[in-house]
Amino acid sequence: MAEFAFASHVPVGENRYRERYGLDFEDFAVGQLFKHRPGLTISQQDNVEAALDTLNQAMLHFDAHYAAQTEWKRPLVVSTLTLQRLIGLTWKTFHKRIRILGWADISMTRPVFGGDTLYAESEIKAKYDDGDPSCGRLTVVTRGINQDGVVVCSMEYDVLVYKRDAVPFAQANY
Amino acid sequence: MRTFYSHRKLAEDVYIEIAGLEYEDFAVGQIFEHRPGRTFTAEDNRLHALRAADLSARSVDAVFNEKVYGGDQVISETLVLGVVTALTTKTFNKVVANLGWRQVRFPTPVRVGDTIYAESEVLGKRDSESRPTQGILHIRTRAVNQRGEEVCSFERHLLIYKRGLGPYDAAGY
Repeated sequence: MAEFAFASHVPVGENRYRERYGLDFEDFAVGQLFKHRPGLTISQQDNVEAALDTLNQAMLHFDAHYAAQTEWKRPLVVSTLTLQRLIGLTWKTFHKRIRILGWADISMTRPVFGGDTLYAESEIKAKYDDGDPSCGRLTVVTRGINQDGVVVCSMEYDVLVYKRDAVPFAQANY
Repeated sequence: MRTFYSHRKLAEDVYIEIAGLEYEDFAVGQIFEHRPGRTFTAEDNRLHALRAADLSARSVDAVFNEKVYGGDQVISETLVLGVVTALTTKTFNKVVANLGWRQVRFPTPVRVGDTIYAESEVLGKRDSESRPTQGILHIRTRAVNQRGEEVCSFERHLLIYKRGLGPYDAAGY
């Protein structure tokens, strides 16, 4: 038998359900591991656009002939693109995030190439309630795992997350 | 002070542009001021989120953003980190791969319309033991906005090709 956790919808009337996004600060506990879905395939075109959109001049990302002469033999995906996609993929669980305070560590453990598919998973390492009625702080480790099950990126960062009913989500019709 | 060159002479009056410094060019204590700066737009933020399959209401629903976040158009931290790192790529162009970042901080939020500028200090360098053609640089990068307020800082380790040992001749660089 499958076991379930956390409501995906909030009842807002007779036979009327509103989709809910993101857990409240109160829902999180140290040791939880969240496997985020969907995954996302990064294309070489994504890589070129990410490099050029951010003014990244390293041709390792967008000159395939140059990249063919390197040990990678093909363009390497921009590290921060991998990171951005991974954090983006966490949104359903962390929709009530106010902001990322900072990363203590970001490790790029394996190269990522166009065509690779990334899945994100996040572990709650620490939870701090400093008494702010509206939010609390979490230390999260998010890992990126490719289609072969290999960890390509691991990062530890702190986020502020809204507490239940502390913010006008309902007032905003969410 | 050292002189770094932007072009290499191929023949009389023929020059090829050089992309980035080599491992040997770097020394602890050097500070590089990166150019250009970059201005952020609301569209940057929205596209950035959507391309990551992130449908968070904050970036796509202005009414929600107004009611929950006061309409504050803060640029995503992951976009700021990506842009600040990218702004360093003229000097650190001969990168093989990034090994990682440490102590990534955002002392002041970046908002729509802000322009940021980055600079990097070389904190350390050492030869790679497993990769004889490469060295490892340890740098600290800081970015400030148009008012001079620090918006991002981090330390980063990256592999850089040594002189004559990269794929540049083979690739026509």
